[in-house]
Amino acid sequence: MPVLKAGSRLRSQVDTTEVIVVRAPADDLDLRIGGHPVVDQTQTPVAGLTATGGAEAALVGKRYTRAGDDLEILVTKGGTAGLALGDEPLVLKESKPLPASD
Amino acid sequence: MLAALVERWLAPILGAGAPLADVPEPLSGCPHLDWAASGAMALTGEPDGAPALAPGPVLPLLAAISTRVETLSAAAGSRVRLDPGLLLGARAAAAGLGRRGAVSAGGATRLLPARDGWCAVSLARPDDLAAVPAIVQGDPGPDPWEGLADAVAASGAAEICERIRLLGVPASVVDAAPTAVPPWRVERLGPTVEAGAWEDALVVDLSALWAGPLCARVLGGAGARVVKVESTRRPDGARDGDPRFYDWLHGGHDSVSLDFSTEAGRADLRRLIRAADVVIEASRPRALAALGVDPHRDLRPGGVWIGITGYGRRHPDRVAFGDDAAAAGGLVARDARGRPLLCADALADPLTGVVAALGALAGRAAGGGLLLDIAMADVAAGFASAPIGCGGAHPIRSEGGDWYLTCTTLRREQRVLPPRAPRPTRAAALGGAHTAAVLAAV
Repeated sequence: MPVLKAGSRLRSQVDTTEVIVVRAPADDLDLRIGGHPVVDQTQTPVAGLTATGGAEAALVGKRYTRAGDDLEILVTKGGTAGLALGDEPLVLKESKPLPASD
Repeated sequence: MLAALVERWLAPILGAGAPLADVPEPLSGCPHLDWAASGAMALTGEPDGAPALAPGPVLPLLAAISTRVETLSAAAGSRVRLDPGLLLGARAAAAGLGRRGAVSAGGATRLLPARDGWCAVSLARPDDLAAVPAIVQGDPGPDPWEGLADAVAASGAAEICERIRLLGVPASVVDAAPTAVPPWRVERLGPTVEAGAWEDALVVDLSALWAGPLCARVLGGAGARVVKVESTRRPDGARDGDPRFYDWLHGGHDSVSLDFSTEAGRADLRRLIRAADVVIEASRPRALAALGVDPHRDLRPGGVWIGITGYGRRHPDRVAFGDDAAAAGGLVARDARGRPLLCADALADPLTGVVAALGALAGRAAGGGLLLDIAMADVAAGFASAPIGCGGAHPIRSEGGDWYLTCTTLRREQRVLPPRAPRPTRAAALGGAHTAAVLAAV
């Protein structure tokens, strides 16, 4: 299980989904995509795995979190599978307000 | 010469046989003296040092565009006269901002040196600041800018910008040698119709902040009815900025607020868009698609779609703000040692707004059916790379708290004038003030 650290780039083992960790607590977290643990972006997935789990497909450019908001995962490449911690699907974060100026 | 450049931009819209515009009113004859008089130069340079020159003929080119905006608006509606200096300095003057060197006037963008070049990074939103630990892959320390600057200094400019952008944070490599590119790509979405007048034309403005609303303001001046559409959950953040500036941009426009999270709200949005003669948006194409909006399907016959993005619709994931987009186009000043400084206040914003208005005016004159894919960085590059047109030396001196710029060719001196604040004549509508009335009419 790769450690979730701010800046870690991770990929799915069952589809094209890739993510980057924006923020994570110090605990060990079982981040899964399509029911299987994520791997480091540079790693080759285990062959022959298929997606399981009910989470909705993660949308590219969107941020996902869990209750408590101590975790933030940004999807950098979309796919068909969803994000979960163990069996618990992550939830989509609402867009933040626009700034007053740039 | 700059008028000819504007005609080359317009040729794909108006056709090659279109009549040439009148030669624009000469300003001083020296683009640097014009820059000094405009209010923009006072916003450029180190705060405790001399104001700095722009790399291109910003004011003369803006004047050439303004001349064309005037002729096109007068031909099909009310004549719009733009005040280039006011366009560039309005926001900073309204908010009381001054020059800050490599930091933007608004404070959200900074130029940071990398190993092999310079990067412009904007931390304008809470999410941008929150992304810094992930960019630096560690604790950035108490000042996120300091940690970010260290990470940039240790990397190649292109490589670190790619990493920063991966986190959705606007970042660009400062283009040290910008090349002339047209500010838009023209895409035909449907057949042309007989060109309509601007009186009673409907402009639906989905954009926020500065560039898109400025375009809407110009079209409103030509006679169009402008409807600004905002999300109830995410209204235009500029409403929280200086009210004079917001009123100046939006006074006289109808305001519609829709809840995009409901199917009813999204259906109302599509209905409005399908009724529009001009749609102005500055969204990622993906965000529009998520709302069920598709320019290819939803633009009415003869309509013009103005799509403003940082880098064009071919780079749909790269967000930009006015200062980092200007830097991406090489529209930066230089200090005595050649280090880049940000130019004026979010310079790519007002330039893009005026260019977008020019495109909308020309597109409607040509019978519409067009999407103009306008990239803020390309607009900036167009201004940075245009021929400067004055070969003289331009020394600057200070006296009695003021700065004076001299053009040795013209043998003239110009005091560096402060930016001018806008004088709105009408207050902007409160968010959603016209929702029911506008929806009942379309």
